[in-house]
Amino acid sequence: MLVSEAVSRKAEREASRSKWKAAASVVLSEYLVLALCVLYTLVMIPVVPEIATVEVWQNILSDMMPLLIVSLGQTIVLIIAGIDLSVTAIISMASVVGASIMTQSDGYLSGPLAAPAAMAAMLLVGAGIGLLNGLSITRLNMPAFVVTLATTTFFGGCAIWYTTFHSTTTSIYDLPDMFISIGDRDIAGIPIAVIVAVTAALIVHGVLAYTILGRWLYAVGKNPRTAYVSGVPVRTTVMAAFVLSGMLAALASIVYTARLQTGTPILGERILLDVVGAVVIGGTSLFGGKGKVIWTVFGVLFLVLIDTTLKLLGASLFAIYVIKGSVILAAALLDTLRTRYLGVR
Amino acid sequence: MNSRNRITILLLQAAPYLLFVAILLVFGSLSDRFLSLANFTNIVIQAAPVAILAIGMTFVLLTAEIDLSVGAVMYLTGCILGLYLGGVPWPVGLVVVLAASALLGGINGALVAYLGITSFIATLGTLFIGRGIAMSVSNTASVYFPEAITSLNRATVLGIPSAIVAVAVVFAVAWVLLQQTPFGRQVYAVGQDRDAAAKAGLPAKRIVFFCFVISGALAGMAGFVSATQIGAITASYGLQAEFSAIAAAVLGGTSLFGGRGGVKGALFGALLIQTAANGLVIINANPYIYPLVTAGIIFIAVAVDGLRSRMLERLERRFIRPWEIA
Amino acid sequence: MQTVQRSSPPLLSVEGITKSFFGVRVLHGVSFELWPGEALGLLGENGSGKSTSMNILGGVHQPDGGRMSLGGVPYAPQSPREASRAGIAFIHQELNLFPNLSIEENLFITDFPKRSGVPFIDRRWMRKRARELLAEVDLDLPPTRLVGNLAQGERQLVEIAKALHADAKVLILDEPTTSLTRREVERLFAIVNRLKSRGVGIIFISHALEDVMHVCERMTVLRDGAVVGTDLRERLSLPGIISMMVGRSIDAIYPERSTGPREEVALRVRNLTQRGVANNISFDIRTGEVVGLSGLMGSGRSELARLIFGLDPLDSGTIEVAGTRLERPGPKASMAAGLAFLTEDRRNEGLLMDASIVDNIGLTFLKRFKVGPGVISGKALNTTAAELARMVHLSTDRVQETLAKHLSGGNQQKVVIAKWLLRRPKVFILDEPTRGIDVGAKQEVYRIINRLVEEGGAVFLISSEIEEVMGLSDRILTINKGEITGAFERSGFDREAILAAAMAPVGPKREAYA
Repeated sequence: MLVSEAVSRKAEREASRSKWKAAASVVLSEYLVLALCVLYTLVMIPVVPEIATVEVWQNILSDMMPLLIVSLGQTIVLIIAGIDLSVTAIISMASVVGASIMTQSDGYLSGPLAAPAAMAAMLLVGAGIGLLNGLSITRLNMPAFVVTLATTTFFGGCAIWYTTFHSTTTSIYDLPDMFISIGDRDIAGIPIAVIVAVTAALIVHGVLAYTILGRWLYAVGKNPRTAYVSGVPVRTTVMAAFVLSGMLAALASIVYTARLQTGTPILGERILLDVVGAVVIGGTSLFGGKGKVIWTVFGVLFLVLIDTTLKLLGASLFAIYVIKGSVILAAALLDTLRTRYLGVR
Repeated sequence: MNSRNRITILLLQAAPYLLFVAILLVFGSLSDRFLSLANFTNIVIQAAPVAILAIGMTFVLLTAEIDLSVGAVMYLTGCILGLYLGGVPWPVGLVVVLAASALLGGINGALVAYLGITSFIATLGTLFIGRGIAMSVSNTASVYFPEAITSLNRATVLGIPSAIVAVAVVFAVAWVLLQQTPFGRQVYAVGQDRDAAAKAGLPAKRIVFFCFVISGALAGMAGFVSATQIGAITASYGLQAEFSAIAAAVLGGTSLFGGRGGVKGALFGALLIQTAANGLVIINANPYIYPLVTAGIIFIAVAVDGLRSRMLERLERRFIRPWEIA
Repeated sequence: MQTVQRSSPPLLSVEGITKSFFGVRVLHGVSFELWPGEALGLLGENGSGKSTSMNILGGVHQPDGGRMSLGGVPYAPQSPREASRAGIAFIHQELNLFPNLSIEENLFITDFPKRSGVPFIDRRWMRKRARELLAEVDLDLPPTRLVGNLAQGERQLVEIAKALHADAKVLILDEPTTSLTRREVERLFAIVNRLKSRGVGIIFISHALEDVMHVCERMTVLRDGAVVGTDLRERLSLPGIISMMVGRSIDAIYPERSTGPREEVALRVRNLTQRGVANNISFDIRTGEVVGLSGLMGSGRSELARLIFGLDPLDSGTIEVAGTRLERPGPKASMAAGLAFLTEDRRNEGLLMDASIVDNIGLTFLKRFKVGPGVISGKALNTTAAELARMVHLSTDRVQETLAKHLSGGNQQKVVIAKWLLRRPKVFILDEPTRGIDVGAKQEVYRIINRLVEEGGAVFLISSEIEEVMGLSDRILTINKGEITGAFERSGFDREAILAAAMAPVGPKREAYA
């Protein structure tokens, strides 16, 4: 081989490497999912022109909110390398408990305090189930997967049973207007649900980024052993994660229940996989120690965006499922590739 | 290990069986119909699909992986059976179902073993895709099975109902595979410590791959058996079947962390859950408490297992002054 | 040194093996030979090159230079599997068995015997062969017993049986006696003798010199990655071996300290006992003092540190830090009292490898940066972490961007030290602070230790390197089998005496060989 030839080959290799690097920096950026959302929207404009309208985006936004709230809790739990399958049961349980308190047909409470009391009770239900999860995991040495599988079966069943005491149908109706307004009113043009979700997202972001608890959560997820030796109260941290996840699921239940205007025990049943999918698409790792609120926002946006456009297209449930599944697989594959070939986690 | 610890561990180990005996005693004393051969036959028939699923799931759990797609595989292969294989003799239908479901399991296995995707996510993705395709081919309408298949439910072999025969065959084959073949024993080694197994020269990836193939194939089998029982399936068919299967396997002592458990446990777990459910029906219990009882059983069994492993861990520590311990 | 004349060729010969890690040469031409039917004792202090040599023999590492031959043919294994195929069985301290499988399944895990024509395991044949193998190692257990239910010594024998099954010509035993009871040790020796009579060559690595003297015909002593001498057992004595082991060149300079120990006691440990781990341990460390703890592998030195810091439960005994008794031991309570603990297991217990330097440093004392309820000031943390990083001379000042896993071993250790310095500990327990780090980083660690005690701290220094303990400590304690076996004042530091104390027999009847 001639020297000049070798030099030019080397230059070629370097050029391709820098191209690769540029591509890699996009792939590695935490805004990749947002970029994909934008790209997807642009591509879809000619196909579904409605996507460029304000109304559709208002819909997307309002669809996103409750899913986002649950996903925030799941993000916290995934950060400590756990998983919370009980969020769906919490949503159902909170929904029927809250509705039974404030329903105007024979509820436990009436008057202006009924709705706030019911909401407090709903949050309490979430915190309680979360606490039960946390205690079983830290004190009884049980894997999070099985614990939350058992609690989701148990409280999912409870919710259905509980409904039978308060309603002859499968739902509890006649919720007070004050409560329903959460689902359909605006404050200064911004839907209340959006305000609630954004506030929750900001608070969770604040906890993760600026508090002692936040640092503990990441540390426990990265290496519980090191965290323990460094004086981190590992058990308390794990419990906090599950209690927060439970309360956020209950908060989502408030939004869902208000939008549906009924308390129903089958509210959350189908969203579990969407929640886990959205968080993981955003880039939060199932192995713990890695996750951000903004990633989850993007992940939820991406899933809802796909859902919405496919519905606008008149696509069948079939297409929605297949595309959702492919997106989850692609996100996982991407994550595996960047871990393996670029050494980033 | 002193004898008191040994007894405690044995008791903790026997806890699920004690639970089973307790269930038998409680329901047996509440109803004289409960402890009858006819009723037990019924329990096994009802438990058959979940038992078969759980046996397949056991293979995957033994390698420290998880398969969330089994319910979707049941639904998809069920649709294929009902829609396209109505005219063929049932054995051909069964073979096609098994082949299709093994192929789906193979896709999961390839994603996990060779592409390195976490099994939770990989099978979550294939779950969506599988259900989506099933909805597409069925137009989300009910799919009815022909008489040739539903009549199998009433068929017997030497007087034994077909569902029980199916469970028995699956169990026997799975047991032999796990206990009596090199592959089976290597599954345990891989699940215990994948790196050590690979270092010892075992084909760890291939073993994980085949466990997913088995899980997929048995999901198809479970779907076939339940098709004979229910006659028609809808879009919600097989939803959360993965959780029932995992619950049954875990109840029978299979660990989510790999290397521990077996198909006997899966069969036992599925029967335990079904026995409790059947007992509740027989004593005319409020149907709403069924899931509560199931969840309670799973919870107790796993809590006991957690205590046992914590205790074993403490006892297995290495000592510098062994003469003080022995 | 005399060599022994033999008529037969050696079973294994190792000639001039060299090896470097990260540019540091750890083996400078190691040579020795092993004849069939003999046991060769391989002796040397920690870091003398024993493990590296054996890892090369076992195919774990590949040598940079030199030659090996096995049974007269060149031998250069690229992996542990190749080594074992060639007939070398390496039995590590951490045994490589699957506890969830039976003894027979472990023996045959890669080559199950199958029944003719069918893919099923031939259990009957396997059991018969397993019984034969177990009989050869004097293990009277059913082959169907789960390995997880076996005692440590029994597992070791299963490993040896596995080596026999693989037809091993050379058996390497790494510290085989440390966790065995006396009876188990005697059984092991009987088996070793039997294997010798069958022509197997044994390499026996151990710190228990009496054990080595008992079972090996010849000894090879390594020091600083080279062979210092090889001789027959009859021509060697215990003191002679020790002096060969310790004649080690000093490769580190220990910085002078300007202050000495003060009166007040910083750490008072009384009658610390944990069954099976530590027996009745008492000592004091004064403010401004460095107390070294010297012990060999398996002596219980790290375990003692963990007991004091509250990582493992205590059976009895008391711990006082600066006059305050620790009531409920645990890392949090220990830290609140003023203890800090640098673990020997940096990777799994010392650092969050996937976290930044700042996150690692801040973890021990996040409360210090509190600006509101539960809220911390990231800016203040970053500033302080950067200061600490400068103080320990960390190679990078990008403390927010750099992940711990991307640092060299020495810099990682500095991060661990910095995270504990954040708390200004009264007593700093350092377990192997210089393990796996280069000479320059070692110097830095030494200077940090000096500064710590000069500023009124106290240090409990645990190290397997005697020079290091001698160079830094005001006092040295020796430990063996969970008991304190000696105490030395600085004026009376003597390398051979310290090593002899660290090897002092402990426990019931060490000398009673049949």
